[in-house]
Amino acid sequence: MLFGRNKKNPIKIADKGVVDWKYTTCGYCSTGCSIEVGLDKNGAAVATRGVAGADVNRGKLCLKGIFEHELFNIPGRGDKPLIREHFYDAFEQTNWDTALDKVADEIKRIQSTYGRDAFAIVSTGQIMTEEFYTLGKLARGVIGTNNYDGNTTLCMSSAVSGYKRSFGSDGPPGCYDDFEHTDCLIAFGSNLPEQHPIIYWRLKQALEKRQFPVIVVDPRVTMFAQMADIHLPVTPGTDLALLNSLVHVILDEGLEDRAYIDSNTTGYDEFIKTVEHYDPVSASKICGIDEDTIRNVARTYANAGAAMSIWTMGINQSTHGSDGVCAINNLNLVTGNIGKPGGTSLSITGQCNAMGTREWSGCSGLPGYRVLEKQQDREDIAKFWGIDPEFFPKKRGLFQTDIFPAIETGQIKGMWLIATNPMTSMTNTARIRKILEKLDFLVVQDAYQDCESNQYANVYLPAGVWAEKEGCFTNTERRVNLIRNVIKPHGDSKPDLWIFNQMAKRFEQGQKIKFPETSEGVFDELRQLSKGRMLDYSGMSYEKLETQKGVQWPCTEGDETGSPRLYTDGKFQYPDGKAKLLALPFIDNNEVPDDEYPFWMNSGRVVEHFHTRTRTGKVGNINKFSPTPYMEMNPDSAKELGIQHGGYARLTSRRGDGVVMVQCTQRVPPNMVFIPFHFHECANRLTLGLLDPHSRQPAFKQCAVKIEAVADQHAAAVRNKEARAF
Amino acid sequence: MFKVRKDEPHYAYLPDAKAPTENQYGKKIDLSEEYAELTGKSLNINGDSSISDNPDRYKQHGFYFNADNCISCHACESACSEKNDLPPYLAYRAVGYVEGGTYPSYTRLNISMACNHCDNPVCLKGCPTRAYTKYAEYGAVLQDPDICFGCGYCTWVCPYNAPQLDVKKGHVHKCNMCVDRLEVGLKPACASACLAGALDFGVIETTPENRDQLKTSIPGFPTADITNPNIRFQQTKTLPQDMSRTDATALKYHRNDETGEYEPMVDEQRKSDKKLWNLRKLLTSHENAHIAFTLSAQTVIGAFFIVLFAQYFGNDTGFVDFAANVSSTYLPLMATLLVLLSFGMAKLNLHLGRPHRFYRGFYNWRMSPVSREIAGISLFFAGLAGYALFAWFNNGVAQFFANLSALAAIIGGVGGFYYMYKLYRIPARPYWNHWQTGSSFVGSALTLGGLLVVIVVSITHGFTLTSATLEFTAIFILGGLIIESLGLLFHARDMKHSHSEGAVSYYEQTTTYGKSWLFRNILLVINSIAVALVSIYGLSGVSGAILGVVLSLSILTSAILGRALFYVLVIPTTMPGAFFWRNKGFEEHARETGLANMPQAGVLADNH
Repeated sequence: MLFGRNKKNPIKIADKGVVDWKYTTCGYCSTGCSIEVGLDKNGAAVATRGVAGADVNRGKLCLKGIFEHELFNIPGRGDKPLIREHFYDAFEQTNWDTALDKVADEIKRIQSTYGRDAFAIVSTGQIMTEEFYTLGKLARGVIGTNNYDGNTTLCMSSAVSGYKRSFGSDGPPGCYDDFEHTDCLIAFGSNLPEQHPIIYWRLKQALEKRQFPVIVVDPRVTMFAQMADIHLPVTPGTDLALLNSLVHVILDEGLEDRAYIDSNTTGYDEFIKTVEHYDPVSASKICGIDEDTIRNVARTYANAGAAMSIWTMGINQSTHGSDGVCAINNLNLVTGNIGKPGGTSLSITGQCNAMGTREWSGCSGLPGYRVLEKQQDREDIAKFWGIDPEFFPKKRGLFQTDIFPAIETGQIKGMWLIATNPMTSMTNTARIRKILEKLDFLVVQDAYQDCESNQYANVYLPAGVWAEKEGCFTNTERRVNLIRNVIKPHGDSKPDLWIFNQMAKRFEQGQKIKFPETSEGVFDELRQLSKGRMLDYSGMSYEKLETQKGVQWPCTEGDETGSPRLYTDGKFQYPDGKAKLLALPFIDNNEVPDDEYPFWMNSGRVVEHFHTRTRTGKVGNINKFSPTPYMEMNPDSAKELGIQHGGYARLTSRRGDGVVMVQCTQRVPPNMVFIPFHFHECANRLTLGLLDPHSRQPAFKQCAVKIEAVADQHAAAVRNKEARAF
Repeated sequence: MFKVRKDEPHYAYLPDAKAPTENQYGKKIDLSEEYAELTGKSLNINGDSSISDNPDRYKQHGFYFNADNCISCHACESACSEKNDLPPYLAYRAVGYVEGGTYPSYTRLNISMACNHCDNPVCLKGCPTRAYTKYAEYGAVLQDPDICFGCGYCTWVCPYNAPQLDVKKGHVHKCNMCVDRLEVGLKPACASACLAGALDFGVIETTPENRDQLKTSIPGFPTADITNPNIRFQQTKTLPQDMSRTDATALKYHRNDETGEYEPMVDEQRKSDKKLWNLRKLLTSHENAHIAFTLSAQTVIGAFFIVLFAQYFGNDTGFVDFAANVSSTYLPLMATLLVLLSFGMAKLNLHLGRPHRFYRGFYNWRMSPVSREIAGISLFFAGLAGYALFAWFNNGVAQFFANLSALAAIIGGVGGFYYMYKLYRIPARPYWNHWQTGSSFVGSALTLGGLLVVIVVSITHGFTLTSATLEFTAIFILGGLIIESLGLLFHARDMKHSHSEGAVSYYEQTTTYGKSWLFRNILLVINSIAVALVSIYGLSGVSGAILGVVLSLSILTSAILGRALFYVLVIPTTMPGAFFWRNKGFEEHARETGLANMPQAGVLADNH
């Protein structure tokens, strides 16, 4: 036996011992992939796979979904509620009753001392629709603060605002199936392969069957830009000029869909007056795309049988994000590309349930796309909840990005943060830190005790995450997906729905209003409240959501399936049924690079991370692809400044400084750097975040920085490592 | 059996495609003839004795990679790591990239690579424990971690970085082609997970739907000549002339317009002229055990042959004096050799992931130079011990056994020495794959062997040396130094002008380790001159003793430094890494700064 070994051992292949697969929906982005979580015989979540029969992802998952089962057991999860007098004291463990009583008492104290609006609630795009609706009921109907918003202001509010301004209502009109029908696609500031890999796959599948031009507008040479037929490396923050110019060419050359414009839009006269100024020659000087290319793209788009536009944060996160969205809508209205297969204006949303909060949380108004400004809407909801309509304010309160400055100036004294982490996600970290320090009382409700905003909390409420709960998410294409409960919440953490319900009980008005105990009970209220409305849920049930792997609204009672597209009949949500063509003059108010701060700083997402890394930063098999922040920098510029590939450099803006590891690549131009936004104490130490006048969304992606070489590389490495706990 | 879902998507099934009889390397794709005795049997996956009815079960399968399409979304890597339940610090499949051009005409070419289940599996041939098997089923090259003793030789010979040495577990593991999925007609997890139409899988030489090419090379992929890998590529988009790596290897791939192929060369963009010592990195590498083993084994073999020469031929060649000296120093000399060799062998054994499985080192003597080296050195050790024992007794029987032992030691020593050299002639490691490896080993044997003999003789003779002894050993020492120096001279010249990773090794040699390298070269010259002078003028008195000690230390320093450089400078022909993942530079940085202390960083804090 010493020299030979003829008998082979059996082949061993890892077997996780899955005995049961449970249906649910991915809790990361808004693509809305159906997932099955595999449980072993001890009931532990050990595996994940894409649901084969789901229309959205057809069995596929991106890397975050592939490792999603690991979420339940990653470090930093909150187990017990925590409490302390001041943020600089140490936290002490407490029980739920004490914690909830304390929060309720503080809310009452602050409201009675400083007024109802002195307590702010900032929520998220992460929790379930039923939870959003319940929170809305609590915030608007019980606590009664008008300073109630969600972190969707940081990502989607420009899309919301743009849809409302153009079409009279929020609601993305298209769907993924449009890829199968379109003859031309333009992506504005959207990097599908990195941000929405499954949507990219759907597009790629369509392209494998049938070629059509793909045009990508992005200042970076992303993988999407590289895969595109035409890449427009636009000057940061100038896409509005480009969009106006595309429309200019289309109208100038008579390529528009005149019949569609005439019968379905208003505002043409004023619109054309503004567009006239954006001839390709003038526009090329602003946006950096040459006039011939502008004409070529405009003609290609207008001449396509059906053409569609998609966009993400490149448009939304700028000083004129809302205008950018309206301009994309303009482009599609003049070419008659709304509501037809392959012709659409499709905002690719960010968070798993950004849509759910837009629809049902009442952050920007009242549930079911209702607004505070309309008496009828106030009365409908007040009646349904059984409260006095006069309890509602008649105008929307502050956006998240205005709530923080209101804390700074002392109007707001207390805040409740739900599943959001402004210490990492908002611009100008130093300012946010100072603002949070100023609060009388901060309650943080999050699945992760180590989320950086918890540093300033007086009470921490540990919440369940994702499939530890049950409820719905709405995805980018208006598909309501069901998240089945897979395992029980970690430790003593509780579903957000339970927390909201318990809080409601602690208020007099909350005891009068019905707060259903189960998410299905809440869903029933959504069905009733949406009946006959644009976002009709009345034809849906949990069972149907699971069998059909999601249903796209509207789905009216009696409908077998949902509706893939909106506005197919050309009827919009304005009272006159028409869409608005909007005049959108471009005003360049960006902090553009100058002699002192000569570089553009652009920020964005990478495929392996989600938001502020409270989840992905702890799953080793995905975090390893970027375990520490980095900056893409042009090698020619790096050489000039004596900066080494793989070394650290220091960046300074008018807000502060940061050290970051340098990755030299020609993917970015010599006057620009790109930093992923996910990392605490990094990109947002530098960002300015001028606010869009309509959506109040910050311009995360455009500011000016100075870059210098760091002599003491070791000290820089230490500083970088110590900047974050995970 | 792997459970297939009722609604398993179409793309997950293995396609039904017609394959030619032979592959591009001229090998039959149907493996059932060659491995007839293995067909029709169960693969016994996790003890399951069922037999698959996959009609292509005995055809060579392989991955198909459309490099035009890969977006580096990591879905393939993640699906693999999830299925195989891998820890964050290691992966069977990895996506790296090369990039070129100037903004905005910039191109990044992502490459997803796992095991290529080669026709010529160098891992299987190199593995001393026979942990590898090339199965007739699908042509899969599978490795059994339960047999492996963790020497990591397969990770040296594989040009694609496919086998992964799991330092924590003490063994290697690698891609298993998802044979459990193949048995039920499904593609491997990675290919089924691809989101970009890049990675696919099937019978080799079959083109997936909508694809045209069956290339065997793309920029960044090592030449297919080494192993005849079972992977085929499509890469139609024109790439920039230079494609650089983003990992810490200062390497780029330059298109040779005559052949159209991309050849590795030094990336001048990354070039730095700074000459450094880098002694800490040089002397604390994972390969320290190899430095100890090779140097001590070579010293002992060298010394033994010198002793043998003195014993048998000393009287005839005029070195009577030396022969007598050796005879009278016999016991301490033999003891020193045995101790030194035991030390080297112990160091080598302890560096294994599973030292208690050391006996498996002989298993693959038919194919593996490592097995042969171990067998040779073991025989040598036995011979040496026997010779030391029997030569002690002055009677005929003992003398016979002494001669027999000497013969065994000669055979073992020569064989072991040869395979010690042979095992470094790895095509995937151009810096080693040069005759200089041999000249360096021979040089070390002569120099250090001679040095050891002269030291022991001198000590046992009250620190006195006859001129004959000095002359005799100086011939060996000086000869070794000259052989070593000449080898290095040619090696440096060849590496500098090579079109391989060797050129980058040369660049690292003259920059990152530039001062250490220069210092060693200077030592070689000084030592050579000094040895020559000593052999002429001799060493006497206290100053002589001091000079002798200094010279010995200088020779030893040069040898250790040289051997450390040998290990640290090798750059394998591996696939390009990414900026963090599979980037040696980042791994080192993460260890130095403590980032590696977070398990989710994907870098093992301790890689020894």
